[in-house]
Amino acid sequence: MNELICRYPGDRDQALVTFVYDDQPQGPGDRAAFEAHLATCEVCQDEVEALRGVRAQLGRWNPPEPNFAITFGEAARQLRVSQPSAISPQAPRASRWWREIPAWAQVAAALLFLGVSAGLANLDVRYDQQGLSIRTGWSQPRVAQGAAPAAVAQRSSSADTPWKADLLAVEQQLRAEMRVARATPATAQVQAVSAHGGDADIVRRMRALVDDSEKRQQRELALRLAELLRDVNVQRQADLAKVNRALGAVENNLGVEVLKTRQQVNLMYRASQVVR
Amino acid sequence: MTWTDEELVARSIGGDSESFNELVLRWERPIYALAYRTIGREEDARDVCQETFLRAFRALPGFRGQAKFSSWLYRIALNLCRDWIRRERRAPIVQPPEDVDVMELAAASEPSESIEDLVARKDLSRAVERAMALLPDEQRTAIVLKEYHGLTFQEIAELLGCPLSTVKTRLYQGLTVLRRELAKGEQRRTKATL
Repeated sequence: MNELICRYPGDRDQALVTFVYDDQPQGPGDRAAFEAHLATCEVCQDEVEALRGVRAQLGRWNPPEPNFAITFGEAARQLRVSQPSAISPQAPRASRWWREIPAWAQVAAALLFLGVSAGLANLDVRYDQQGLSIRTGWSQPRVAQGAAPAAVAQRSSSADTPWKADLLAVEQQLRAEMRVARATPATAQVQAVSAHGGDADIVRRMRALVDDSEKRQQRELALRLAELLRDVNVQRQADLAKVNRALGAVENNLGVEVLKTRQQVNLMYRASQVVR
Repeated sequence: MTWTDEELVARSIGGDSESFNELVLRWERPIYALAYRTIGREEDARDVCQETFLRAFRALPGFRGQAKFSSWLYRIALNLCRDWIRRERRAPIVQPPEDVDVMELAAASEPSESIEDLVARKDLSRAVERAMALLPDEQRTAIVLKEYHGLTFQEIAELLGCPLSTVKTRLYQGLTVLRRELAKGEQRRTKATL
């Protein structure tokens, strides 16, 4: 039969904590004794359950995300300034130091790197009727069949400077595309783009991104609203409680004042009776 | 290859600064979390975390490996937290963010989690934070070390310099207060939603 009063012979609080955390510094003997008690003690069963519940709730508390790049970046700087040779001549480098560089500088550096790499690799990117083509290296490219005769002529006439011919071809291509773009209405362009297999995929992805963004914004809005409603409710409750308390205090004060006045009147009345 | 803390400490003492960097990367989050949960202020927790590694770095040549490196680090951090509390001459104040970082929330949320669940989860986190702030310093520290850092009773006793039984008593008392406060908070939230 289960007991309603705990009769555990040892230190119950300590046994409970030891059991809940399953940490047995004194060995498994204590646990066995407490487990035997627990099987029959309803009070301890309830408390174990409640403490486990508290532990589960504690698990939901996470500290806010820290910015460690700044933390140790600063620490490393301080180390260099305050103790330049604490352990070794060089203080430890700041961890993830690159995060301290502003984003724009990182982007600029990346672009510069790409530009230099492209230059070194003699990168040639083309987008023409034959589709997108990327070529690297310094060797003379093979002329594609069906390429524009003018470009071929230009290239053959300036074989000593192949990049000039390429540049000219790209320029001509761009000019031609711009002319076509100006002549074609925007809607037709969109349709044309949509009709193109590769571009259709890009458009589809863009739409998906926009949809995702909309969903995220809706979600954020809903979250804000839910939080706002909750805060308003909590504030309302708190205000009502405050008003009630204030009213109660006013009533109390009023009652005390009335009582005092009544006592004074009575006193004066009695005094006047005595005088008579 | 993954080095143990002790190996990294030995290499750091030998002059390998990268090894100390590795130790920082490995322990900065736990130390920050310990500081935040002990003193309850984000900025100050960061400062404590930073100062902990600075002190550790300076004292590293004197570290003889009597204790685990992590215990040694925890001890430095806890001493700094204690100094902070003494200096501030007040109980730790939990500062829930003025405004909820929705982007962070959204990023943290599970795809299947509804808005209500998300808000409830955040609410519970704040409730735990507030309840923890009500605990006396020594109870809170014991709970933080046990609950969030998984230290054994023995390790906590050594770290805090008190008997094992005291650690258990602090834990029991702390959990009991938390149980009561969390139940109160739950009632308040239920009332507010009605």
